[in-house]
Amino acid sequence: MIKRLLAATSIATLCLVSGASAAERIEMWVRTGVGDAFKKTVEAYNSKHENQVAMTEVPFSELVQKYATAIAGGQAPDALSMDLIYNPAFAAAGQLEDLTDWAKSLPYFNSLSPSHVKLGTYQDRIYGLPLSVETSVFAWNKDLYKKAGLDPEKAPASWDEITANAEKIRALGDDTYGFYFSGGGCGGCMIFTFTPLVWGSGTDILSADSKTATLDTPEMRKAVDIYRNMVKKDLVPAGAASDNGTNFLSFTNGKIGQQSLGAFAIGSLVTEHPDINFGVTLIPGATGGTSSFAGGDNFVITKGTPRIAAVKEFLEYIYSEDGQKIMAKYGSLPTRGDIADKVLAGLDPRLQVGIQAISVAKTPYTLQFNDLINSANGPWATFTNAAIFGEDVDGAFSDAQSEMQSIIDSGQ
Amino acid sequence: MTGTGSKALLPRRKRRRRSGWRGFLYIAPAMALVILFFVMPVIFTGWMSLHNWPLMGGTRWIGFNNYVRMFHDARFMSALRFTAYYTVIVTIAIFAVAFPLAIFVEKQRRFVSAYRTIIFLPVVIGLATASLLWVWLANVDSGFIGPALKALGWVDKSPNLLATFDSAFLTIIIMVVWKIAGFTMIILLTGLQAIPADLTEAARIDGAGRWQRFRHVTLPLMRKTIALALIISVTGSILAFDQFYIMTSGGPQNRMISVVYYIFNQSFVSFNLGYGAALSIALLAILVAISIVQLWLLRVGEERP
Repeated sequence: MIKRLLAATSIATLCLVSGASAAERIEMWVRTGVGDAFKKTVEAYNSKHENQVAMTEVPFSELVQKYATAIAGGQAPDALSMDLIYNPAFAAAGQLEDLTDWAKSLPYFNSLSPSHVKLGTYQDRIYGLPLSVETSVFAWNKDLYKKAGLDPEKAPASWDEITANAEKIRALGDDTYGFYFSGGGCGGCMIFTFTPLVWGSGTDILSADSKTATLDTPEMRKAVDIYRNMVKKDLVPAGAASDNGTNFLSFTNGKIGQQSLGAFAIGSLVTEHPDINFGVTLIPGATGGTSSFAGGDNFVITKGTPRIAAVKEFLEYIYSEDGQKIMAKYGSLPTRGDIADKVLAGLDPRLQVGIQAISVAKTPYTLQFNDLINSANGPWATFTNAAIFGEDVDGAFSDAQSEMQSIIDSGQ
Repeated sequence: MTGTGSKALLPRRKRRRRSGWRGFLYIAPAMALVILFFVMPVIFTGWMSLHNWPLMGGTRWIGFNNYVRMFHDARFMSALRFTAYYTVIVTIAIFAVAFPLAIFVEKQRRFVSAYRTIIFLPVVIGLATASLLWVWLANVDSGFIGPALKALGWVDKSPNLLATFDSAFLTIIIMVVWKIAGFTMIILLTGLQAIPADLTEAARIDGAGRWQRFRHVTLPLMRKTIALALIISVTGSILAFDQFYIMTSGGPQNRMISVVYYIFNQSFVSFNLGYGAALSIALLAILVAISIVQLWLLRVGEERP
């Protein structure tokens, strides 16, 4: 009843607001930590169009619950840049606008990033369209490599090599470190940068049907050992143990030799930290191979928003060549395959590594992504901290394995 | 009761009934507020707790299943254990600091109001603000405590205080004591000041030492004040959430999930509003029970000579 009451009052206020002016004002939420690509696109759009987009940044770890609460309270924004992982759950709950007919009428519909469209599709109807694509890659600081006497142009191909390089970089001085990761219970950071180690080696943390947790594998043990070893040798800053994702881009301070990060970060580094001379390559697997996490956001529209025409106009701008170029310049890989080459022409060649990564990349598909992986108190976040920094590795494995399984079972 | 007896009582009872109505009128505004903002939400929460109530989508009646689930929920049990542990430690710590402070600022001495103000100052900061401040203080690289220890040469390497359970817990306890002790001190101070000087004077003349005066005169007379301070402190500690959410995100390794944090997670991370409501009702019952036991232990209701 309270839900309905809130919805009624907010609809009343919405009517008052929208009646006031002819040009529409679109409320849109976007998560933090995805770089500037979207922000810059909004700025470009606003300067050229009568309709305006008002963008609100919401901390990435809270976006899902804030949006869900806002929907329940009838205060939801018109549109949202949603981590594509969550798209199925929100579509299943019937909270998103059905875009099927409009989407299929777009001339370039068939060249939109297929994995995004797949996650945006629920029971053959489309509820989300690709907004940004990003993959995780391994970056190294060429200046620090040179200082440590390493070949700055040679990308490390295995974790033995990475560890050895990290030791040499650490030897440079007090506050220079060989490697960094956000290990303080940041599930999202670790699924993005750490699982490629096991994926590259051919195993996964969930079974193919997502109904069994398969965390405890020799490959995962090896991956944990690699990270533990680097922590033990003091190659990683002490702050990593309690970094819940706020310092994910520590690489930008110029004192971190190597770090796994995302294509968005390549864009931020190129445009905002031009002083950092870095190279990127694919993330090596723990026992060979390479892999990456294919993520990014889908553009979703809240069901029943009165400004749907304006929102569609904005989305068409994003898909235009201009829009795609701005997105790509700030690190979001092109979502339209048909003009990808045109869009990337003249941009930083390191973004090409992000595109290469797509061919080896994986995306976990589970409706319980928040509970299992992303929640700061979920089993995956807890596991990564306990296994890498804790005393009891076996305990960390068995706790996380059973907890993940019990969450999966209770959700069936 | 016999017939004659009740007849004799009649007029007085009528008068009492009339003044009863008037009394009710006086408390009606307060009652309205309590009913609207406490009783109704509690009833609604109770109603929700009997449903499978997701944040999005339809609700489904499941009777007492949420309550049954609670008893087999290992994470809820560990949240309860942690909250109990935290409450005991922090309450002892607050009283151990606040009682001496209250005695210190009770006596008239130079600058006493300056001392009172300084000690009370942290109380007026919000808990969330204080937590953020301490997150910075405890930061391993750009904070204050770690780098200061290193600069003093006490440690070789700046320690990451929030990375292990013991040091993170200690940091939070110190933060909470710094933040709350001033408030407890003020409550205890009013109790101390209410003790007539003649009583302690008389005890002194009878030859009672400093400790004996404190044990047999001051403490018994402060019973009600201590009960109030204790209930405020214990209730506040059981409802602790901000400091764990902001300072450690419930870590390291999820070992700092308080009950309220767990309710928050169930409701707004896992979207099980129904189960969250059931946990809230359970927490309410626990709080009421603890408060009753405390009042009984300190025998607050009894008139003492």
